[in-house]
Amino acid sequence: MQDISSASSHDISGAHSHDVSDVLRKLAMVFTTFEGRLEQTPLIRKLTRGRFEIDDYRAFLIGLRQQVKDGALWMSRAASNVDEEHLELRSRLMRHAVAEHRDFRLLEADYVATGGELSAIVGARKNIGSEALSAWMFHEASQPNPFGLLGAMWIIEGLGSIKAAEWGRLAQSRLALPDSAVRFLLYHGENDTTHIAEFEEMLGLVLPDEKIARRIVRVAEVTARLYALQIEEITA
Amino acid sequence: MSRDVFITGCGSFLPGEPVCNDGIEDHIGRIHGRPSLLGRRALRWNGIETRYYALDGEGKGFDTNAGMSAKAVRTALGAAGLGVGDLSFLATATTQGDYLVPGHATAVHGELGQRSMEIASFQSVCGSSLMAAKAAWLNIKAGEHKVAAACAGEFSSRWFRPAFYEGTALVDAKGRARAEADFLRFTLSDGAGAIVLESEPRKEALSLRVELIDIVSLADRFDPCMWAGASVENRTELSKGWAMAGPVAAHAAGAVALLQDFDMLKRVIRAWVGVYLEKVDVKRIIPDSVDWLLCHYSAKSLREEIVSLLEKTDAMIPQQKWFSNLARVGNVGSASIWIMLDEFLKSGRLRRGEKVLCVVPESGRALVGFMLLEAV
Repeated sequence: MQDISSASSHDISGAHSHDVSDVLRKLAMVFTTFEGRLEQTPLIRKLTRGRFEIDDYRAFLIGLRQQVKDGALWMSRAASNVDEEHLELRSRLMRHAVAEHRDFRLLEADYVATGGELSAIVGARKNIGSEALSAWMFHEASQPNPFGLLGAMWIIEGLGSIKAAEWGRLAQSRLALPDSAVRFLLYHGENDTTHIAEFEEMLGLVLPDEKIARRIVRVAEVTARLYALQIEEITA
Repeated sequence: MSRDVFITGCGSFLPGEPVCNDGIEDHIGRIHGRPSLLGRRALRWNGIETRYYALDGEGKGFDTNAGMSAKAVRTALGAAGLGVGDLSFLATATTQGDYLVPGHATAVHGELGQRSMEIASFQSVCGSSLMAAKAAWLNIKAGEHKVAAACAGEFSSRWFRPAFYEGTALVDAKGRARAEADFLRFTLSDGAGAIVLESEPRKEALSLRVELIDIVSLADRFDPCMWAGASVENRTELSKGWAMAGPVAAHAAGAVALLQDFDMLKRVIRAWVGVYLEKVDVKRIIPDSVDWLLCHYSAKSLREEIVSLLEKTDAMIPQQKWFSNLARVGNVGSASIWIMLDEFLKSGRLRRGEKVLCVVPESGRALVGFMLLEAV
């Protein structure tokens, strides 16, 4: 088993590892491009332009549910494909999966709190973007040592810590929703500050390695594009 | 033909005496005679302690945007050891000039007088300063002119007078102005700044070689964040702009005053940082090689997680290298960067061979500009 301290992004003297910071910089750039793309989707345009209706919010929750439900599943699959050399990363992925695998129930409860029928959100089919995103995530998680998925986690966790609360507040004030109807979006914004630090530690478990570094950034790019496609395809 | 270009003179003009926070509303006035509810909050956020207004204590104007701009150009020419007679190209920047038409450069040229010259008017928000600088830089670089000036001026305070809000949809039944309108009244103030560019450095004093001027607009993805000419509700529909409704109806709808969407500003700040990280990633900007950072944004207003992101991506320029006078001279929009550069040069801190990075973010519709200089 690899010793965590020697694999972390900080060496003994406490100096910053350039390998980790280079990947973080590229990931931050991918996220900015992603945010710009989200900004232009019809659903988010409605939200930021004050034209968001309750049906848009319900469609949004339905659209998010599939990916949230799948999230813990692909993460578990990814963990099962991590070898013995990287047990610490495997542990983290498993803990992460456990922590989040019931979150889609919160989305369902939010949906019901808006006055929607539970069967409507549970029985809804995936949109085209969700199909593509889900297939991609499970494909990537099925590879041996699927470290590129750290890039996917950056995008999806980033959405949770940066965008979710912002969207939740806008939707709540526009539609005068009770707190019980925006719990999923608002609760995700809470872990904001520790987000980058924890992620940096995980990068330190697989870097430096040029090939893995490139893969992490590439997987982030593909995940961001497919996630945006999922939001583009949400129509009320 | 392409050659090196040097800033050989810098000048600024700030009207009247510094005004402290308690004096603001004596100059810009009180909407329906009532003090603002949001002013204190705006001041805590922007950290400004004193600023200058070209309006006196009764709200009467004693200068003009073009007048202040021309004074800054004269001072910059003087600092370069030149006069208006030497100037053959003038590029001006402003958010809103004294007239709607013709371009602001005609007014500044008119105030300068003395000779005919080539001019160019740039109108945006803070970033217009670097648009004008880039035009001046490229004109010298291409050998079109020997002496060029880029100036920037703002007279925002007259737009903050009660007449811009009273009787409009921006003020509620209790006489309170919307946050989109009121916040800016405690953020922006007046003044002008200018630089002079030539193809040769000065022998007797430090000059600044212009290494790059990069301007990136993200209007492809963002709606207007700071604007005038549309109501809050209609700001994304160009066809419903003020000119369609006519001035009287547009005023009543609150489409004439200067407005800002503060929710959106947070997203725009992240986008600015993203553009900067791209510049760092392709090594267009190398943070370790920067000796001084002049940023038209206070480090104080950057949220903790942005500073942390910059540090973790090897992109942060340590705060001891930041030079700023925003807290004392106020946020003068497009003119701020030249007013800051002028005070920095006069401070005597800069040494030959050192590099100065100027960063000018503009919330308008999400734009950010960079100018890298080397002292020679």
